[in-house]
Amino acid sequence: MKKILLSTAATLAFAGAAQAEGKLNLYVWSDSIAPELIEKFAKENDVEVTVDGFNSNEDLLTKLQAGASGYDLVTPSQHFVKIMVDQGLLEDIDAHDLAAYAQVDEKWRGQWWDPENDYSIPLAYGTAGYTVNRDIYDGPVDSWATYFEAPEALKGKIASLNYPDEVVGAAQLYLGVEFCSEDPAEMKKVYDLLAAQKPDVAVFASDNIENRIGSGEVGAHFWWDGNSLKTRKNDGAPIEFAMPKEGLVGWLDSMVVPAGAANVDNAKAFIDFMSTPENATIQYNYYAHSSPVALDLDKAEYTPENAPELFPTVPVEFSRACSPAAQDLVTKVWTQLLQ
Amino acid sequence: MRDFRFWGLLPAHVLMALTLIVPILIIVAVSFSTRGAYGGFEFTFTTDAYRQILFNEGWTGELEFNPQYLYIIGRTVLLACCTTFLCMALAFPIAYWITLQGHKARVILLFAVTLPFWVSMIVRVYAWLIILGNDGVIEKGLRLTGLVDDLPSLLFNNGAMLAGMVYSYIPLMILPVFASIEKLDPALIEASHDLHGSRWVTLRRIILPLCWPGLVAGAILVFVPCLGAVLEPVLLGGGKILMMGNLIQMQFGGARNWPFGASIAIVLMCLVMVFLLLNGLRATRKAMEEMA
Repeated sequence: MKKILLSTAATLAFAGAAQAEGKLNLYVWSDSIAPELIEKFAKENDVEVTVDGFNSNEDLLTKLQAGASGYDLVTPSQHFVKIMVDQGLLEDIDAHDLAAYAQVDEKWRGQWWDPENDYSIPLAYGTAGYTVNRDIYDGPVDSWATYFEAPEALKGKIASLNYPDEVVGAAQLYLGVEFCSEDPAEMKKVYDLLAAQKPDVAVFASDNIENRIGSGEVGAHFWWDGNSLKTRKNDGAPIEFAMPKEGLVGWLDSMVVPAGAANVDNAKAFIDFMSTPENATIQYNYYAHSSPVALDLDKAEYTPENAPELFPTVPVEFSRACSPAAQDLVTKVWTQLLQ
Repeated sequence: MRDFRFWGLLPAHVLMALTLIVPILIIVAVSFSTRGAYGGFEFTFTTDAYRQILFNEGWTGELEFNPQYLYIIGRTVLLACCTTFLCMALAFPIAYWITLQGHKARVILLFAVTLPFWVSMIVRVYAWLIILGNDGVIEKGLRLTGLVDDLPSLLFNNGAMLAGMVYSYIPLMILPVFASIEKLDPALIEASHDLHGSRWVTLRRIILPLCWPGLVAGAILVFVPCLGAVLEPVLLGGGKILMMGNLIQMQFGGARNWPFGASIAIVLMCLVMVFLLLNGLRATRKAMEEMA
């Protein structure tokens, strides 16, 4: 599986690499950084940039834990930033002294995953929910009930992800169970819900989602806001990102530097580069996820009118860094579900 | 001479030790370590990882015998057996037919058999998504004939998974089977017919026993990688049930339990070794019989 994920990674080498002053090795969510920005940064700073992609926070954490990853900048979500800081896997780059910090929206400063802003500058944020194909299902999408207790039209046409992280979170929102619950009785309820849903699930997979939901292979897919938006706009797919009243699962990805990275200065330069209003806007238009830094609003493509996906009207609950006991319960739910 | 045999082979020994034996020892060491809270491991000896294969805490917290991982292991072995059997059944006639072609056609056909290996495994599995998927090659073809209107989804079931597995591994069966059929002495087949052996008897008592070594070699080449299959169960089977490969991957990822992942990997390796050992024993016994 990891091979597939890596195969989606693009490696960009630039002419004149021989004279390049330095290197910068990025390990980011697959297809998450606008290629034109990579090219621009490489040219402006005479730096050779390589980009690899990952498709889950767990992949990234495992790679950093294995040591000597060779990467200079990675983009974990908030709960994994917390874990990585606690495990000593990140370089203290005094992020609050960077020019980029001044661009960060007040509400994203000093958060629980990095209270002093020593390690991280946020890159993008959004939500995880579910998307329906309107050719297949035309009923209401204002609750997780549609997803977890499939109506007739969606029976056998539900698609989930192949790891539990956000799916279990959504089930917890629906049932009113606390995130990272350490209570086995509560988590048993989550298991029962997912087990009852399983006969209606066609596939548990996290890649190739846009094809499956866009083509109507499945009628409802667990998914992220911006990806759903991009597929609706670019491919004209008849899909809608649901706004369940119980809430959406929130995420925020940050730029951080792994401990012992070889090119820390280039990584810092890249963080500043990505956070200027001009470049952040290019990134916003490419990635189609919300930006935690100031944008050039005249050039920003997405507004509440044309991109309701990015402006949720329901509560958003951010994933947390679970204790080992809570994480074991999540794993137990998932293993029993797929045993 | 003796010196040369030692020093001359030293690079090979060093390579074997560094790339094969040391990594396996590390996996064994990890499997007996204590898990780290957020992944990783600490070198404190424990057999927790192995106990977890059989015993787990239930929802109410008491330790109980739980066969869920045995199901996963059994299912993986069953999948590997089915794939191997289907590969055998399909590869034998294909290989036999290839040996009957002229020299030039034979070279081209053998080249065609190995051709898929030039393309990445992922791409080949994705090709099956296009063949079996909604509006895929099969569905469109059937629609054109006008016989079928509404086809149930062909993807994301055990059949799709098995088709993908057989397709992926069948070249590994065809090649050794072809080699053994090619060595077959046509005079023996003629002799069988002269002695009024029917086609069926000739196949069963002459051809198959003589080609058996090729079939066994192919079976090993197919069975062993099948035990570790990860792609086909997820992409074609829909990922609804875990195989050992996926289970191991999960332990090193989301489950953050490296020692348990390592212990499953060791169990997988032991299964492979038992399989190879049985085959080795059979071969030695046969050699002894022939000598006697």
